[in-house]
Amino acid sequence: MSYPILIEQSNQILRELVDAGQPVLGYIYPHIPHEIVMAHGLTPSLVRTNPTTVGAYEDSLQTFSCSLTRNLFSQRVNGSFPLLAGIVFSSNTCDALQNVADVWRLRFPEDNVIRLTYPVGDSGNPAVQYLALEIKAFSDALESLTGVAFQKDAFIEAASIVGGIRRGLQLLYSARLVNPSLIPYDTLSELVGEFMTAPTKTVLTRIEKKWAEVLDGLKKEKQDGVVEKTRTALLSQDMGGINLTSDSAVRIAFIGGMVEPTTIADLINNVPGMKSNTVVLDVLTFGFRTVFTPPVETEGDPFEGAARSILGAPSEPTQEGLSKRVKLLKDVLTHLSIGGLVVCEQSFCDPDEFEAPSTERAAAEVGVPIVRLPIDPELSDRARLEGRLQTFLETLDAS
Amino acid sequence: MSEEKPYRRLESQDLLQQIAFRHGLEAMAASEEGRLAWVTSGFPVEIPVAMDVFPTYPEQAGAIVGASKIGPEVCGFAEDLGYSQELCSYARASIGSTDRPDDTAMGARPTPQALLACNNICGTVLKWYDAISEMTNAPVFLLDTPPLEREQLPHHRAYVRRGVDRLVEFLADTFNTKLENEKATKVADLSSQAIRLWTKVLKACANKPSPLNCADRFLTMAPVVSSRGMEHCVEFYEALLAEVEERVKGGVGAIRDEQTRLLWDNIPPWFTLRFFNQLAARGVGFPADTYTHAWSGAVEGSDIASILDGVVDVYSNVYLNKGLEAKVDKMCELIKDYDLDGFVMFSVRSCKRYSLGQLVSKEMVTERTGVPGVVIEGDMVDSRLFNEAQVQTRVDALLEMFV
Repeated sequence: MSYPILIEQSNQILRELVDAGQPVLGYIYPHIPHEIVMAHGLTPSLVRTNPTTVGAYEDSLQTFSCSLTRNLFSQRVNGSFPLLAGIVFSSNTCDALQNVADVWRLRFPEDNVIRLTYPVGDSGNPAVQYLALEIKAFSDALESLTGVAFQKDAFIEAASIVGGIRRGLQLLYSARLVNPSLIPYDTLSELVGEFMTAPTKTVLTRIEKKWAEVLDGLKKEKQDGVVEKTRTALLSQDMGGINLTSDSAVRIAFIGGMVEPTTIADLINNVPGMKSNTVVLDVLTFGFRTVFTPPVETEGDPFEGAARSILGAPSEPTQEGLSKRVKLLKDVLTHLSIGGLVVCEQSFCDPDEFEAPSTERAAAEVGVPIVRLPIDPELSDRARLEGRLQTFLETLDAS
Repeated sequence: MSEEKPYRRLESQDLLQQIAFRHGLEAMAASEEGRLAWVTSGFPVEIPVAMDVFPTYPEQAGAIVGASKIGPEVCGFAEDLGYSQELCSYARASIGSTDRPDDTAMGARPTPQALLACNNICGTVLKWYDAISEMTNAPVFLLDTPPLEREQLPHHRAYVRRGVDRLVEFLADTFNTKLENEKATKVADLSSQAIRLWTKVLKACANKPSPLNCADRFLTMAPVVSSRGMEHCVEFYEALLAEVEERVKGGVGAIRDEQTRLLWDNIPPWFTLRFFNQLAARGVGFPADTYTHAWSGAVEGSDIASILDGVVDVYSNVYLNKGLEAKVDKMCELIKDYDLDGFVMFSVRSCKRYSLGQLVSKEMVTERTGVPGVVIEGDMVDSRLFNEAQVQTRVDALLEMFV
């Protein structure tokens, strides 16, 4: 599925939900406590950039605001935004989102803008306790918004749905690493996209069905055991027991921040030399990092459970822990037999752009070639991006 | 006979140069002794100072790189390492000068043994210090102070307080030192004295004519940024305040013919401080700015526990750690208190935390105060991002409104 089609489909799903009386809460930063949102009777939905959007931000934002925020702001100005009950901005994640939330509130006072503040520090329990109370405050804000108090039953059901979706996607991610011929990257990215559009039972069923098909194939090849082990290793961020081998085909991974797997799938479709089994993994914020979030504990304090889940996800450039991320990346590259790495850098995204040189050095230290891809939501330099990827593939093939 | 300059030079500048020279020598000695920490400008420096860890500020080094007009070259060293030109120019100057210290006259800092970052001024500081850590192997300590929306809630306060406790533990482990009551109270007291003196200096600028212009304050703020908690910092501000009060008493202004009084918002373009002097020649002065007013919170306390509580209060509530409306409130307050005719907002391309939102706040400030303003765009260190002719045109358009 191409990215524009995903947008169209996503908007259609949201329209149907709203028409059916189901309020939708938009979010921008992907580590949202989905289960808490759903416990208030809301459907959490990723607010997506739209590549066809014409710039309309100039009266409110400077050109050096990141391309993600410029695109979202332009959509809002142009009136092409989906109908949302509210929109969640993250706080303490990056300077652009921090300030743009304020601008948004002032420019669109009719919008219900809700803030959720995350700890940057990797301080263990104090960070969990802090985030738990922030999520509690967030829950109170949702109650004010909807008039619906936190419902424990809905929370438990949401945890089951979201947990099931994540488990299924984790298995599919792992299956793609073990045997990419069984699950195309665009199918995987499409399912991740559906999860972010609306984590519903329907989506869970589709993912489970796809997993059942893939599992059949894995069993025939006697690869089901190694897929489960790979999933466990990725989830625990300990790759010690895994050593995937590769046939002669080049295997590459994508890494970066605020880019969706569907965007990558769309981009690589037209690149000469890109085969269906070339891209075996993304380590993107909207993909791998969100999918490999551990499940929420439903016993005990739900807000603390949600906080532990979010902070248990693989860390990302907005957080403390560069050395841990570098180590995990090296492990992933070596243990999963990755032969090339594409580093996506969102235009004017400080976390992405600051971390790219460290990522580049880490890959070099384990002998994996990289290419850096300056990217924006409009894919405005698409021909050049495709050219860079083509050249990169040719370099890998020749080595 | 040479023509008389439109602005007056401060005699305290000589003392300032001596302090800067001394600070540089002490930083080098501390580095050799294994007790130097790089510190961000919003970091609670009182704690490392009280624990005999000497602080030095790379942001100040960035300002020196800018003022020395070598910003593009030094930032370019970082770009050669793969850091984008879109990133903070303080960070690029710091990374570049760390990579090539011999090619960075004055702007390179001595090698640190620790990197102490507080994200109350921006999120960039963590990424920047992570990069320096990879180059120097010095460990990074982050004091995480999540931005405030309104008043500080108890769980927020508890989180920051735990971070401050962790800082004391980190310094004790890293430098084999400890925080003792007598030293802590002495440092807090010296820091508070310096802040109070600095605040008096700033308030004196409400007089007409203003005894200090923008460039004066940008230069004389250095000790309150770099040496809070040290005795020579207090001595400097005593001398500066005396000179300022003398000027006020004699009706002597920073510029010779003050006709128009403006507010400056944001970090200055360090490579062209003459921008302010050129405006001075046209009778335009800047009695107030949002940048130098950022160092105004005094850490007070009678023992370690109360001092650490004070640290949480002061360093959570800094100007850049609050929302856009708080910034607008501050600008309106300064315009009123200093009786200003208008304002200039410098949109700094490499500082998103300070700059994003200025287009909206410009409208709000004008609506609330009735005075006009202008947004000009550029950068604080990297002069490649500063179009002087364009800036001049915009400022001229503002000044025409006062004719």
